[in-house]
Amino acid sequence: MMVELSHNSILALVLVALSVLSGCAATTTIDKYRPSTELIALNSNEKIALLGRRDAGHHETDREFINCVASKIKAANIEVLDEQTFINAIYPWFEPRTAPRGLPRLKRLLQQPLVKAEINQQAVRYLVWLDGSTETQDQSGSISCAIGPGGGGCLGFAQWNKLSVYEGIVWDLHLLEEKGRLRIDSEGTSYLIGAVAPIPLLTPVKSDACNSMGTQLTSFFSTQ
Amino acid sequence: MNNRQITANPLAQYWVTLMLLLAISGCSSSASVKINTTFPQVLAEPKPINVAILFNDSFSAYQARPTKNTHLDIGTAQVQLFKNAFKGLFSEIEFVATADSIGEQTSLVITPSVREVQISTPSDNYLNIFEVWIKYNLEIKTADGETLTNWFMPVYGKTPDSFMASKSAAIEHATITAIRDAGAKLILDFYRIPAVYDWVSKQRLKEDLG
Repeated sequence: MMVELSHNSILALVLVALSVLSGCAATTTIDKYRPSTELIALNSNEKIALLGRRDAGHHETDREFINCVASKIKAANIEVLDEQTFINAIYPWFEPRTAPRGLPRLKRLLQQPLVKAEINQQAVRYLVWLDGSTETQDQSGSISCAIGPGGGGCLGFAQWNKLSVYEGIVWDLHLLEEKGRLRIDSEGTSYLIGAVAPIPLLTPVKSDACNSMGTQLTSFFSTQ
Repeated sequence: MNNRQITANPLAQYWVTLMLLLAISGCSSSASVKINTTFPQVLAEPKPINVAILFNDSFSAYQARPTKNTHLDIGTAQVQLFKNAFKGLFSEIEFVATADSIGEQTSLVITPSVREVQISTPSDNYLNIFEVWIKYNLEIKTADGETLTNWFMPVYGKTPDSFMASKSAAIEHATITAIRDAGAKLILDFYRIPAVYDWVSKQRLKEDLG
């Protein structure tokens, strides 16, 4: 009887541990659209610029995510122009108030000789707009920590969901057309277990979204 | 033994007071911000109009106190930004500090001023951001002293989120974004101001006839 109970307890513990650990993996969905299956050709002297959308009232695509995606793309030997360098070079045409939201506005903007010349000077061939955010949802549980003369510790359990939704759109600045778009949805639950010491089991939702965005965007291009 | 306690107590009191002061100053919600950043040159084709920009002391040394705990020194930064922006609007331009210094060739005199600065913190707006509004006024006069218009120009800046180093850093970021927005607004909308548009059209007509 005693042996059987121990086995059951061990099995239950293993199941709980497995379910907790499996909960720490993010689920990522990728929606990709491209008008053609051909890779986008990028010459060795051409760059891409990654820009975050900053005109939404409730969120702003954070620079940390943009830098993360840029580093993934750079790792594939694709030259990426720093976001702020591009925005400053074209000032004030890519500020939140003035940045073109669609291709018709971009076409009008590039009719200005000074703007077109500066983009050529910067050797930017493709513009990639990144728009999205990571939000924490459904927080539950509680954890409390205390410290006294005899020592201290934490007790409790807390969990929360994180959802990253990011969209990337590739514009060709020479042909003035959209070359593709993709949407990354990444979701996962993180846990904090208070068993004397607080044990965090964090799901890298944003990091997964960055990896997926970087990998997918890299797969759009072929460097020559 | 007793002596040792007496000498140790003031030291302990000193440390406790110091720690309390540090804790209180760490929790303080006051912010004093001076904007020292540089702004980029604007990318725009200026029109051949001879203009004087009057930066009086109240503008070039402007300091705002949007709340009793917040102090914003934006004078130098806004002068630099406005200089850059006006250079993108007019090809012949002089920046003066007093009306007496305006040259004879000037066609327009523009005097920018700040009407109000407002800030909003996460505790005010229940959002995860800091926001700054600067309400500018541009008094636009002809060389004869006739007022063409007083153009109200509100600009806006915000932080991506409130997880910045400190309240001062967050307000500084939002203020820089707002001042940059002033450059964008000027370049985008200045020649769309009805009074300015009419004046420019009339000047062009005069040149064509003359």
